[in-house]
Order: sequence, then structure tokens, then C-alpha cells
Amino acid sequence: MILIAGTVPAENLDLIQGKVEKIGNSLKVQDYTFPCGQGTGAMISSCLEVTKALGFEPPYALLAGDIGRGQGTRRIYQYLIEQVTNLKPRILALHYCLPIVRLMQKLCEALKECSYRPLLIADAGAMYAAKAAGVAPQFDIFTPDPSEMAFLADPEAVHPAYVSRYLFEALAHQVPELIKRAYAHGGAAKILLVKGAIDYIATEGRVVARIEEPCVPELECIGGTGDTITGMVAALTGAGYDPLKAVIVSAQVNRLAGRLSCATPATRVDKLIEYIPVALRELGNI
Amino acid sequence: MEEALKGERVLKKAGYEGKLVAPPPSLRKGCDLALEIELVEQTVIARTLQGQVSYIGIYPLEGSAELLQIVKVVHFPEHVMVKAGNMKIVFAKTNGMIVNISGGGCPDVPYLYTRLVGSHLETALRPRDLGFTLCALMLDRAWEEALSIWKGGKLS
Repeated sequence: MILIAGTVPAENLDLIQGKVEKIGNSLKVQDYTFPCGQGTGAMISSCLEVTKALGFEPPYALLAGDIGRGQGTRRIYQYLIEQVTNLKPRILALHYCLPIVRLMQKLCEALKECSYRPLLIADAGAMYAAKAAGVAPQFDIFTPDPSEMAFLADPEAVHPAYVSRYLFEALAHQVPELIKRAYAHGGAAKILLVKGAIDYIATEGRVVARIEEPCVPELECIGGTGDTITGMVAALTGAGYDPLKAVIVSAQVNRLAGRLSCATPATRVDKLIEYIPVALRELGNI
Repeated sequence: MEEALKGERVLKKAGYEGKLVAPPPSLRKGCDLALEIELVEQTVIARTLQGQVSYIGIYPLEGSAELLQIVKVVHFPEHVMVKAGNMKIVFAKTNGMIVNISGGGCPDVPYLYTRLVGSHLETALRPRDLGFTLCALMLDRAWEEALSIWKGGKLS
């Protein structure tokens, strides 16, 4: 089972869970429908496009409403801490949530009790929490952008807003150096996919692949393009791809979907998601 | 000391945790009592204390004591993207409408997207007044710069 856990921007949504369905431009979990292009929704949508294209079972979602106060985040963590051993996910992808360090530490403790250790993927607030909690090396894949890479490389920062100015200024041209630093002090997952003008894929402290084509600078403007990459990584690893191959293919597909959709800075991410199956096919993955 | 005690009460009433502690030596500024908070909630905590409690500042216990203030601007033919830390805001050069928000990872980022995309830079509510976290504060910094560019007509 691919389990995606994250918050959605709703004030009064209690914890819900279940297999995800796509209905028109919306996603449905239990009786709750929500847009397919926002935050965790974008991640789930891209995952769903890939699982559908590959003929795989859809992802299972664990969601709660949270607009930043943290109540939904706490519900998700609490549930996972208590139930992850029963849920038995093969892939666990953690996404938008308030980076609460002690809850992430408790979740990592709970994961040690699993009879089968899931492949752990973190993006967004879950990645911030994992790094700040000192448990980043327990994760298999992080998907930061360059500013978040500077945060992972800063041993003392607890959030990207407080990263050292020196490291932040280095990010434009020195992503490989930031990667080295992050691995050196335990701020990185086993695999990093750094999404940017050049996508860097790194493991064990060194860059093993760079993806630069097609070059679509407009993608940086579009909210959710990082979420779509992480969703594809979850789907491809769930389909049995080697994690390194999964991150490389996801980065390639995202760029190609951007090109195929004729992305502009005003494009919404749901338009890109529509092109994921086409891009997968063009790259020979279907 | 009185203000710290009052701050703890105000935060508790608003549903946020604040623990009374002695300030670390590096942060001592003459006071002898501080409130320890979840730093990521800085935006909403500052808003909650505003007008009710006097305080010197909010600082992380480790790392850079200053919020990242570096702003970068990228011009596209019809749009401008302003980046502050991990947050980006994009507006149309023709009419000043916010067309995209990207970056960030806290739960108020998708919420801010729904509230701000499609609004005009001049009439949109400030991200720091709508959001709760440090990502909202970074987006507010980007919005400030975007508004300045729009008002100043520096669109190329």
C-alpha cells in the first residue's frame, strides 16, 4: 500500500482515510471531495495518474484539515504513531504538516516497531520536521528545492526561514556543496532529489545524476510542481522501481509535462498533472 | 517579568503553548524571563501578542537569530516572480493580479494559495495576517516586495 499522509486546507475536517478516487477535477476520500491541485491534493493526483497509467492500485490517503494552526497535523501524527504498525504501508509519503519535532520523533520510534519497514518519503513540512528532529537519515527520499537544500545543509536551522544567510546565498551555484554539507551532518535522507533549474539527484553525499532538459523556467512559478514530483516518486517506488530510478524518472516526467502543457507562470498545477501519463509514455515508462 | 507571565496567559487563552523559561545567555537583553514557543508558529504568536503584551523579540534558540531577508526577483515576459526564502509569489505585469504562489511546506501554504491567487496585490489581505507560520511570514516578505515593484512600475 502507498500511504500518503498530509493536511488539506480546510478548517473543520476531522481525520479521514481511504483509497483515493478522481472525480472530474476533484479527489474523493471517504465522502470528502477536494481540489486535485492544492498541496497534498497535487501530490495525490500525480501519484494517482502514475498508478493508473501503470495499472497499479491507487494510493491510500490519510488526511486532516489544517490551515496552519496545527490541529490537523497533530491528528495525523497521533493516528500514525498509534496505527502505523497495523496499516503496514509499503511506501509512506509524508507531506504538508506543521513541522512539530517531538511528533516526528515519536513517529520514527513507532516505525521501528513495524514488521516491514516502509520506504519513507518526505516533502514540505514533514521534511522540515524530519531534519529539525535529527531523524533525516532514517528517511529514504527527500525532495527539497534549492532554498530547502540550504536549510538541510544548515545544522542549526529549524526552518528554512532561519537558514544562515551564507548558505542561502550559496544556493544558486553551489547545490552540490550544500548536498555534501547536508550529508556530513545528518540533514539528508538516503536519496535527495533537489528540484530546480537543474535537478540534482544525490545519494551518500554525492551527486549521481543531473537533469536539465527540457528547460522550463516557468515551472518554478507554479505552486504544486514539487508536490507532483513527490507524488510520482511515491507511485513509482510503489510500482517496484528502484528508488534512484524513480526519482530520476519523476524529475524527467515533471519537466516534460511542463513542456507539453506549454506552462506559463500563471499555469495551475492541475494542467500539468493532465500531461503526466503522456510524458510517462514519451519517456518509455508505459 | 510581568509581561512574560501575561504573555503565557494570553497564548494559553488563544490555544497556543508558551512555556516560561530563563532566556539563554546569548539572548539576554536585560529581561529575566522569557516564553519558549514553537518557532514555526511565530507569525500567529506575534499576532496574538500584538497590542496585549510588550516583548523584545522572537528569536530561535539555535542558528541564525535573524529571519532570512534575502529577496530575489525574476522577470518573465508577462509576469514577475518574487522569491523570499522558501516562498515565491507571481503576479501579472499587466494588471497586478497574483497568479501563482509556490514553495513552502507548512499547512497554511495551500490555504494562502486559495485565499490569495486571483486577488490583486494592492487589495489582497497580507499573508502575515492570514497565515500562521514562518512560511506565511516569508510569503509576506515576498508580497511586500512584489507590491513595491508593482507600485513603483519596475516591471522589466
